[in-house]
Amino acid sequence: MAPPEGADAPAAPKADPKPSDPPSESIVASRTNKQPPAETLESLWVRRWVILSFWAVVACLGLPMWWKTTAIYRADLPLQDMTDWADGKICRPVFPLRIAVEASPQVQDAHRLIRTTQHALDDLNEFSAHHLRLILADLPLPANASQQAIIDGTSSTGDDQDIALSVRLIPVETGETPRSHLQPYAPTLDVYYSPNQIPSASSTASPLATFVAHELHKIFADEQARLSYLLSASSSGHATKWKALSAETAAELQRQSTRVLKYAPTYHLTFSLFTPTSVPSAWDIEPALRQYLTPLLESFATISNFTIDTQVQLYATFSPSIRQPEYDEDLKAWTLRKEDLSGFINAAEWPLSPSIGEGPTVNFALYVPEQSQSPLLVKENGASSWLVPQWGGVAILNPTSSAAIPKALAKEALVPAMQTFSNQLISLLGLPQTPASLPLRLSTLTRVRAASLIFSASSTLGALAQVYQKMPSIPVPDSVAKSVDLTLGHLQQACDHFRDGRFQGALEHARIAEAQAEKAFFERSMVGQVYFPDEHKVAVYLPLLGPVAVPLVMAALKEIKSGIATLRRR
Amino acid sequence: MKFSSALLPLLLAPLGACEHTSNWAVLVGTSRFWFNYRHLANVLSLYRTVKRLGIPDSQIILMLPDDMACNPRNAFPGTVYNNADRALDLYGDNIEVDYRGYEVTVENFIRLMTDRVAEDMPRSKRLMTDERSNILVYMTGHGGNEFLKFQDAEEISAYDLADAFGQMWEKKRYHEMLFMIDTCQANTMYSKFYSPNILATGSSEIDQSSYSHHADNDVGVAVIDRYTYYNLEFLETQVRDPTSKLTMGDLFDSYDEAKIHSHPGVRYDLFEGGEAAARSRLVMDFFGNVQNVELDGGESRNETQWQEELAAIERMIDEAKRRHNESLSVRPLAEHLVEEAEQPQPQPQQSLKAGAVRVDEESGWQKQVVGAAALLGCAGLWAVGSWLESA
Repeated sequence: MAPPEGADAPAAPKADPKPSDPPSESIVASRTNKQPPAETLESLWVRRWVILSFWAVVACLGLPMWWKTTAIYRADLPLQDMTDWADGKICRPVFPLRIAVEASPQVQDAHRLIRTTQHALDDLNEFSAHHLRLILADLPLPANASQQAIIDGTSSTGDDQDIALSVRLIPVETGETPRSHLQPYAPTLDVYYSPNQIPSASSTASPLATFVAHELHKIFADEQARLSYLLSASSSGHATKWKALSAETAAELQRQSTRVLKYAPTYHLTFSLFTPTSVPSAWDIEPALRQYLTPLLESFATISNFTIDTQVQLYATFSPSIRQPEYDEDLKAWTLRKEDLSGFINAAEWPLSPSIGEGPTVNFALYVPEQSQSPLLVKENGASSWLVPQWGGVAILNPTSSAAIPKALAKEALVPAMQTFSNQLISLLGLPQTPASLPLRLSTLTRVRAASLIFSASSTLGALAQVYQKMPSIPVPDSVAKSVDLTLGHLQQACDHFRDGRFQGALEHARIAEAQAEKAFFERSMVGQVYFPDEHKVAVYLPLLGPVAVPLVMAALKEIKSGIATLRRR
Repeated sequence: MKFSSALLPLLLAPLGACEHTSNWAVLVGTSRFWFNYRHLANVLSLYRTVKRLGIPDSQIILMLPDDMACNPRNAFPGTVYNNADRALDLYGDNIEVDYRGYEVTVENFIRLMTDRVAEDMPRSKRLMTDERSNILVYMTGHGGNEFLKFQDAEEISAYDLADAFGQMWEKKRYHEMLFMIDTCQANTMYSKFYSPNILATGSSEIDQSSYSHHADNDVGVAVIDRYTYYNLEFLETQVRDPTSKLTMGDLFDSYDEAKIHSHPGVRYDLFEGGEAAARSRLVMDFFGNVQNVELDGGESRNETQWQEELAAIERMIDEAKRRHNESLSVRPLAEHLVEEAEQPQPQPQQSLKAGAVRVDEESGWQKQVVGAAALLGCAGLWAVGSWLESA
C-alpha cells in the first residue's frame, strides 16, 4: 500500500497545473480555488485502512489484554452444595448405636427377649436421631465363663469398635433381681436376673425386658440430651427438638457449652507455678504429671492429642486493680472475693501465653501464697480452686502445716492440685459426668465432637459461599475449590460413617473436613482491596488512555462523517 | 436458635454475663510523623486502659505506625504523654506493639480482621476470636468522608471496613463488637456497616472536623484528641475497677458536644435488641475482660479413690494396647480389614503430598533447563565475540 501512495504524492502537483495552460487563467484559478487537490480514492482508502487497523489493534489486542489482566480469577465453587450443607439439608446426623446382648445359653428365647426389649426401648425413646439397636452377640459365653467374666471385666468382646455397649445377662440365685451394674472401665452392663424372669413364650412383656430397656435408656439419656441440644443449637431446622429437653438440662448444657474448649486435634497444656516470693522455686511436676495426668490424657488419645509444658514464675504479684486478700476471722484464713477472681490472673505481667505450636493453650496455674497470707481461700465457699471457662484452671496450694514453705514442692504435695487440674481438664474437654463407665463417656464425647465438627465445617462452607456471592471482587484461587471439594467429600463420608454407626471413623473424617474448610475460608490470597470509588478509576484510566483515545476517536468520527457525506452525495 | 434466645434471658438470669467468654481489642493508629503525636497517644491511652481493665496483652492487637518515644524531636525521649501535666508515661515499661511502622497497612489490617494470614504468623499478631468473643475496635488517624488514611499512603474505605466485618460475622468471629473511631467525619466510617451486633460510635459527623484537646508546649505538639480525651476521662474516673457495673449508655451520655467541639454519633440499629439492648451492655463487656469463673465445689473427692481410678484407667489403656498389639500380630486378616477400611481416609493427604512433590520436581527440572540454556547462550556469545575479535 505504501509505495503507490509515495509515488502518487509527487505526481499530484504535476498533474494539477496541466489543464490550465495560460498563466493568467492559472492565477485566477488559484485565487478562486484555494482548496487542496482532491484526494484520490486510493489515498482515501489507505487512510481508512490505517484508522481501521488501529481500531483493530485496540479491539482485538488491547481490550482482551486489559480484560485479561484486570479480571479477578474466581474458581468455580459448588455453591449450591455448600449452602445445602450449611442449611443441614444434606446430612442430618443419626446416631444408631449397636448394643450387643450376651445371653447365656439357658436363655432359650434370646431373640424374643431382645425383640421385646427393643420394643420397650423404642417406646421410651423420644429423640429419633439417636437410636439404640440391640443385637445378639455372636459368641455366647460358655455357661461357667459368666462368673469368671465378672472378675476380669475386660475380657468381653470389646474388640469390635462398632459395639457401643455390651449387655451381659447373668442368671443369679441370690440377691435382688433384676439388678444391674455398669462396669466403670469397660463398655459393659451386667444385668443380674433370676431365671424365672425370662419372658415365657406366651407373654409379650416381661419384667426383665422392661428393666433392661429402662437401664439402657437411663445410661444414654445424658448423651441424648447433649446431642439434641447440639442439633437444636446448630440449625434452626431442629428447633423443635429443644422442647424435649427440660429447662434445667438445657440451662446446664448451655453452661457447659460456654465452658468447654472448642475442639482441636491438639491441645497445648501449660502448667505454671506462681509464687509471690522466692519459694518454692522448684516442683516435681514431671513425675506428678506422669503419674496423675498421663493416664487421663492417654484415654483421650482417640479424640485429641496433648502437648505439655511447665514453668515456674517467682515474685508474681497480683494485678493492682483487684482488691488485695482480706483476713477473715471466722474462717481463720485470708480470703478473696468471688468477683475478684476473674482478675486474679495478672494477665499483664504473668507470662501465660507461650504462643507455642498450633493448637489452643489450656492454662493451669498453681498459686502458692506467701507465708503471711496463707491459707488463702475464696470468701464465698472456702474453695481454693476455680475454673475459667475456655481458658483453664487455677488452684491455690495452701501449705498443710505451719512450717515454712519448702524450696521445692515434692510430688506428694502436688497431689491435691493435680486432682483439681485433672477434674478441671475433664470439664474443659467436655467429658460428660454420667454414666459411670469411662469408655462410654469417651464414646459419647467422640459422637458429640464428631457431630459438632460436621456442623462447624458445614457452617464454614456456608460462610464461604456467602462471601463468594456477596463479594464479587475477591479473587478465589483453585486451591480453595480443591479444599472445598475435599471438605464436601469428607463430610459425606463422615455422614455415611455416622449412619453406619462407625463413630471413630466419622470423627476422623469430620476432623479432616473441618481442617480443609478452615483452610478454604482462610485462604491467604482471598484478600482484595475490594472497594475503589469511581473517581479513583477515572483518575487511574484517564491519564493513561486519554491521549491515545482522543485522536483515535476523533479520526474515526471524522472518517465516518465524510463517509456518510459521500454516500449522501451519491 | 430463636427459641433458645427467647428462653435464655428467662432461664439463665444469673448466667447472663457468660454470653461471651473472651475479650479482644484491636487498637489502630494510622498516621505517621511527629506532628501526629496525638494519634499515637490516643491509641496508647486506650491500650493502657483496656490493659488496666484486664484484657491480656495476648488479646490486644496494637498497631502503631510510628515510634514517637524514639523520635529525635521528642524532648522527653522514651516517653509518650497524653497530657500536658506529663503525670503518666504511656510508653511505660511493658507495652507490646504487634504491628509497627510500615506493617500498619490497610491490607494487614483487613488480613488481621479476617485472619487471612500466613501460616508462620505468630499467634500474638493474630485475632483468634470465635463466636463468643467481644471485640473492641478503636481507630484513629486522619480521615474524611467514608475513608481513613493509613500512613498518608493509602486509605481504607467504609465499604472495605464493612466487608471485613461482614466476613467476620459470616465466619462467626465475634459475638458483639464495639467500633470506635476518632477522626474527621468519623461517623461516615460506620455508615456502611451491615453485619449484626456491631455497636459503632464516632467522634464527628459528616463535614465536621475532630479536634485535638490541648498541646504540650514542651513536647511542642498536641497530645490528645478531644473525643478520646473525654472517653478516657469517663473510663479512668468512673470505671475504677473490673467489677464496675456502668453501661455503654452511661458512656454515651457522658459525651458533651460543647466540650468535644463536634457531634459524636452512635449507631445502634445493627445491635440485636436495638438501642435499649446496646445501651444496657456493660462498659466492661468491651473494655475489660470479665470472665465468669466457676468455683470448684467445697467438697473434694476422695483422694485414694481418685488414685485408684487413675490406676484403673491405666490398666484399661494397657489392656487396650495389649489387645491392639495382639490383634495386629495374631490376626493378620483383621489387620488387613482394618487397613482396608481406613484407606479412604489417608488417601487425600497422600495425593496432596504427591501433588506438592510433583510440582517441586517439575519446576526444579524446568529451572535446570533454563539455567543450562542461559549458560550455553552466554558461552556462545563469548565464543562469537572472541571469534569476531580475532577475525
